[in-house]
Amino acid sequence: MRLEIGNFYVKDIVFGDKLSFNEGLLTINKEEAITYLKEDDRITDIDLYLAKPGDPIRLCPVKDSIEPRVHVDGSPLFPGYEGDLKRAGEGVTHALKNCCVTVVGKHWGGFQDGIFDMSGEGQKLSLYGTLLNIVLVMDTNEEFERHEQQKKNDAHRRAGCKLAEFIGQCVKELEPEEKEVFDLEPVIKRDPEIEKLPSVVYVMQPQSQMEELGYNTRVYGWDMNRMLPTFMHPNEVLDGALISGSFMPCSSKWATYDFQNCPNIKALYHEHGKTINFLGVIMANLNVALEQKERAAIYVAQMANSLGADGAVVAEEGYGNPDADFVGCIVALEDAGVKTVGISNECTGRDGKSQPLVTLDEKCDAIVSCGNVSELIELPPMEIVLGELEALARDGSSGGWAGDEILGPSVREDGSIIFENNGVFCGDQVCGWSPKTMKEF
Amino acid sequence: MKKAILYINQFFGQIGGEDKADFPPEIRAEKIGPALEYAKSLEAEITHTIICGDNFMGSNTEEAISKILGFLADKEMDIFIAGPAFQAGRYGVACGTICKAVKEKFGVPVITSMNVENPGVEMFKKDMYILEGGNIASKMRKDVKAVVAIANKILTGEEVGPAKEEGYFPRGIRKQVWREDKKPASERMVEMLVQKLNGEPFETELPMPKLDRVPIAAAIKDLKKARIALVTTGGIVPVDNPDRIQSASATRWGRYNIDHVDALKSGEYKTIHAGFDPAAADADPNVITPVDALAALLKEGVYGSLHPYFYSTVGTGTTQAEAERMANEIIPYLKEDKVDGVIMVST
Amino acid sequence: MVKEIEKAGFPIVQMCNLIPVAKTVGSNRIVPTISIPYPLGDPATSKEEQWKLRYHRTKVALEALATDVEEQTVFRV
Repeated sequence: MRLEIGNFYVKDIVFGDKLSFNEGLLTINKEEAITYLKEDDRITDIDLYLAKPGDPIRLCPVKDSIEPRVHVDGSPLFPGYEGDLKRAGEGVTHALKNCCVTVVGKHWGGFQDGIFDMSGEGQKLSLYGTLLNIVLVMDTNEEFERHEQQKKNDAHRRAGCKLAEFIGQCVKELEPEEKEVFDLEPVIKRDPEIEKLPSVVYVMQPQSQMEELGYNTRVYGWDMNRMLPTFMHPNEVLDGALISGSFMPCSSKWATYDFQNCPNIKALYHEHGKTINFLGVIMANLNVALEQKERAAIYVAQMANSLGADGAVVAEEGYGNPDADFVGCIVALEDAGVKTVGISNECTGRDGKSQPLVTLDEKCDAIVSCGNVSELIELPPMEIVLGELEALARDGSSGGWAGDEILGPSVREDGSIIFENNGVFCGDQVCGWSPKTMKEF
Repeated sequence: MKKAILYINQFFGQIGGEDKADFPPEIRAEKIGPALEYAKSLEAEITHTIICGDNFMGSNTEEAISKILGFLADKEMDIFIAGPAFQAGRYGVACGTICKAVKEKFGVPVITSMNVENPGVEMFKKDMYILEGGNIASKMRKDVKAVVAIANKILTGEEVGPAKEEGYFPRGIRKQVWREDKKPASERMVEMLVQKLNGEPFETELPMPKLDRVPIAAAIKDLKKARIALVTTGGIVPVDNPDRIQSASATRWGRYNIDHVDALKSGEYKTIHAGFDPAAADADPNVITPVDALAALLKEGVYGSLHPYFYSTVGTGTTQAEAERMANEIIPYLKEDKVDGVIMVST
Repeated sequence: MVKEIEKAGFPIVQMCNLIPVAKTVGSNRIVPTISIPYPLGDPATSKEEQWKLRYHRTKVALEALATDVEEQTVFRV
């Protein structure tokens, strides 16, 4: 399966008369974009902003980020989610790089929503602070969840994906600056030289633990709570088959942008034919019952064996009880003779003294660690807030709190904030970006 | 200039060897032995040296500690240093013991140095910075230099880096750091993967910690007479959450009366745990706190009596230290009511 | 929390779904439950079935407290 991604590097973004891309300058007609998005009559309030690295801007509550792209053949960018079902991961996709559409709640946040800064000491906490952000701030009539801690954020997430595809249209007919080709031959029809290399599968465990539908990661629009691990082509992940869920402590989150650009997949692709034979992706899941976790691990290990994998990489989108899925999966793979590396974040507590994962096993001897979800973060006020800062304290953010005897509320009157890394939008970057690691002190 | 006080044993205090190991603690307003070496680069004035025989500290620990704490009560100090103790077991344990006591009593930073083979390392590494030192006294200069490097950072308010880089024994604290080379997790993953596949040495970023165990408590002898208490980390609380227990990383707990209650009712109780879908527990809180089943089993005489409160907090993201503290706040209530056994429901 | 209560001398039984987690944290008496969000009653089943399951497992938990164990033990339900 061959996917060609044509890259257009965005150097700056402005609002103007006509949606266009010209020598690095992306121009967006704001009214036109808003009119298009307002077709969803759930949206009661909507506005667009630009937030660039270095700007004195803080975004909260952030729901998702998406890279603007278009399929050159006109097929849906997110098949089965926005538009008809069609296989993703083949053909030609054009992508606007260095930028993203970021969706922010005008007022209401929740457990799953995050925060990030475009400048200052907090900028480094999230990848998204380093990108040119097209910020969609909106409110909806989804009354049933307005005051719920867990939100589906359905209108927000869909609007973000729609806007990303809408903006992508402007490079549909243009010639990209750079072409990336992702081409992986069928597993049993590979060059003998490549077959001599140790073969590897990438096992993804996206968040899928909410039994009620509508919150979890979606694959081709399908709620991942309703599936067992399956084999996928990495190009499908890179090309819009996966939509980020809305149910996880936010620093553990993989945004839709993270799936579209998944660094772990790209790194394995890069090594393919050099040091490894990259077989593909086992798309696993995260579960709530031990039996489900064990069943998923059995599926993963069986598939790895059947594919002839010598090695595997397991990445989890979450912490806490998902660690049992993560460790269980690694142990099942090791027991099945597959040499496995895990990637995760840890929860060692504000004092750093807690057990790093809720389940431990000595078979997990190769772990890449991306951060501590409960590290305490304190940031000064920021001149501009897009969204509503109070959401961090008021709405049950995974990193914030309304009050604490010692630390006070997460959001102070002067706009300074204190919260756990948990609340940073996609802060731990287990999908592969993370420049963070964990060290003993 | 900031002030420091040094603790050393009878040998380095120039009192004598093994024959003087019973030497009781003394404090002297001068620099003795290693103090002179420290003084060369320490950014604090060593105002006093405390000398104590290793055997005295070992066999009369309480007396030694109380004397030394007495010496220090009216002294100013910004840091307390002990050793280096090299591989000398009794000396290492003495350094750890006195550092821990001084830190607890006065809240000043403490620091020492020992060889990896010194039993004091295992005993005290979680309580203080112990620099990894040499095995014999000829390493004095090097070990003192290492202690000074950290001590100066502490004295000047500079951040002390990770254990490996700074050369101290890990204190059981894991924190996130930004790698200087900014090498992303994806590249580290591929490197580790290829090394593991090729049978080459690799270094995990999360060494599996050793598990801590407690002795198994004896079983209840006669269940029919036993008093049972119910505890949960599933966040079941009265709907208005009167104790304002947090839905993650909890530091609070509550106890709620279930005396003569046949079942917890939906609408009166709910879960505030944010780590899972609350719908089932909100509709029927007994699925987490089985008050209804306990009431029935009590009526049938399966067990003797029910402690009249259930205890609740939230497990997700809660630190072990907080969980321990909360447990220790709950335990007196269980003891006072002569509870015989506890049921804990976790989510 | 389980460890602290056991350390204080109380026999304690942990009812939970994630047995590997309970074992890792050092619980000595473990009674399995059916899931994380609803340990003792699957809302997809009838009230009567939920009650039977909850009554049964709570009883097993009580009996576990009166059972001497030599090592970490998962009681059969």
